[in-house]
Amino acid sequence: MAKIVVLGAGIAGHTAASELRRQLSKKHKVVVVSPNRNYQWVPSNIWVGIGKMKPKDIIFPLEPLYKRKGIEYVQAKAVSFHPEGDDTTQPYVNVEYVFGERKGEQEKVTYDYLINATGPKLAFDMTEGLKPGTNNAYSVCTYDHAQHASEALHDLIEKAKTSEKKLKIVIGTGHPKATCQGAAFEYILNVEQELRHYGVRDKIDLKWLSNEPALGDFGMDGMVLSYNGKPMKSSEMVEMIFRDRGIDWVLEAGVNKVEEGLVHYENLKGEYKTEPFDFAMLIPAFSGHGFKAFDVDGNDVTPKLFKGFMVVDADYTSKPYEEWTVQDWPETYQNPSYPNIFAPGIAFAPPHSISKPRKSPNGTEIFPSPPRTGMPSGITAKLVADNIIDSIKAGHISLQHKGSLGNMGAACIASAGYGLMKGSGVSITTFPIVPDYKKYGETGGRNVKKTFGDIGLAGHWVKLALHYAFIYKAKMKPFWWLIPE
Amino acid sequence: MTQIITKKQKRWMQNPFIQFFKFIYLNIKILIIVAGGHGGTRDKADS
Repeated sequence: MAKIVVLGAGIAGHTAASELRRQLSKKHKVVVVSPNRNYQWVPSNIWVGIGKMKPKDIIFPLEPLYKRKGIEYVQAKAVSFHPEGDDTTQPYVNVEYVFGERKGEQEKVTYDYLINATGPKLAFDMTEGLKPGTNNAYSVCTYDHAQHASEALHDLIEKAKTSEKKLKIVIGTGHPKATCQGAAFEYILNVEQELRHYGVRDKIDLKWLSNEPALGDFGMDGMVLSYNGKPMKSSEMVEMIFRDRGIDWVLEAGVNKVEEGLVHYENLKGEYKTEPFDFAMLIPAFSGHGFKAFDVDGNDVTPKLFKGFMVVDADYTSKPYEEWTVQDWPETYQNPSYPNIFAPGIAFAPPHSISKPRKSPNGTEIFPSPPRTGMPSGITAKLVADNIIDSIKAGHISLQHKGSLGNMGAACIASAGYGLMKGSGVSITTFPIVPDYKKYGETGGRNVKKTFGDIGLAGHWVKLALHYAFIYKAKMKPFWWLIPE
Repeated sequence: MTQIITKKQKRWMQNPFIQFFKFIYLNIKILIIVAGGHGGTRDKADS
């Protein structure tokens, strides 16, 4: 009998746990440890953030599902890692209960295999004054943040109806190295449509404030894509959309402080500037959770497991940008020191950024960190689960399943407005996610046949269909496994 | 020069009949690209 412990129940953790349970017999134990009692389909937070969906539309409770499916669920947070165990136990993770009678109590959760799918910590504290719901700045990173943002947005819309003064909304990144520009991009387009819907668009200026070096970088160094059968840079595509929607932009902006109605930032020229606003949605920095790891003697072995995020089979050698290759990126997400530990999704430490690193004359690094969104999270989680299943069946570690972000495609279906007939979406596919400049040197590192963009109502329908399909899949309803990650 | 979205293109983008076929096309294309497989990169580099 093997015991597999999955830390986290987001897209990666839940995908891994579901696959393990489906493919392993009941004599093997699957345990999920997560402080969150609900599963949330994060990509639809955008629609909660404009009030078109309610939190209940994008979440469901995990415990009843796991009980039905034979997955053990522990509502707790990981505290420390003990990959060699101690005198009396096998490897374990120390967890602390966060709910119910055992709240605050710690327990050793032992394992044969460990999947760390704890995702990122939303590091609002890395930017002074950036805290959701304070200083008129909001977030859509979680469903409750998004709900709060929606209420504030609609208050602003009411204010705009009677205001003589023109108001201003700023949306973008809230830290010099923030990522997830795609979510902010979706939000600004949805907000723009919402303002038009309520007839106040002419009373509110909209500004995109981002750490990207160019529009459409998205932390992926931009891309050349096929649009209407012709090659087009993602920067040109986003500029075309922003001009069409009357959205202004500021790039290369490293936000360092937020005050009530005022965002402070430094740009790549080293200038310190400010931008006033009446409502802002700024994506925070993502960081590791600050976990500690100890060996059998109680010595600190944290560097063997963590480099902020978890160390996996990537090449972390420090080298100049010109020498970076796709081969640096991990293939199996296995920790090199402890082969029974894996970190799919956002939990693994990337070897480097995808966008070119840039520094201001003051020494501030201002560029997007690499994004790792839902689709690659699901794919990497499934391949980790498949390798563990093979290993259990073979009786030794098997790593047949591989999936480097340098040999994997992704689809970004960015909502550009909600509505069955009036909605819109920007559909972008990219292959590979990490550009392979050696293989696709003439097309910006991407296979142009598999990298395309499209704008229109169909994109909205696709995003809506994905919303329902992936919630169906996550609820493990009949034949859920037929829906690909 | 920046491209613009023309009125004709906008009508195309919001026409439910045309977009229905686009919806089918997009789903197939996304499925082919994303679910079409993934793998490692190191073996290929070595060979």
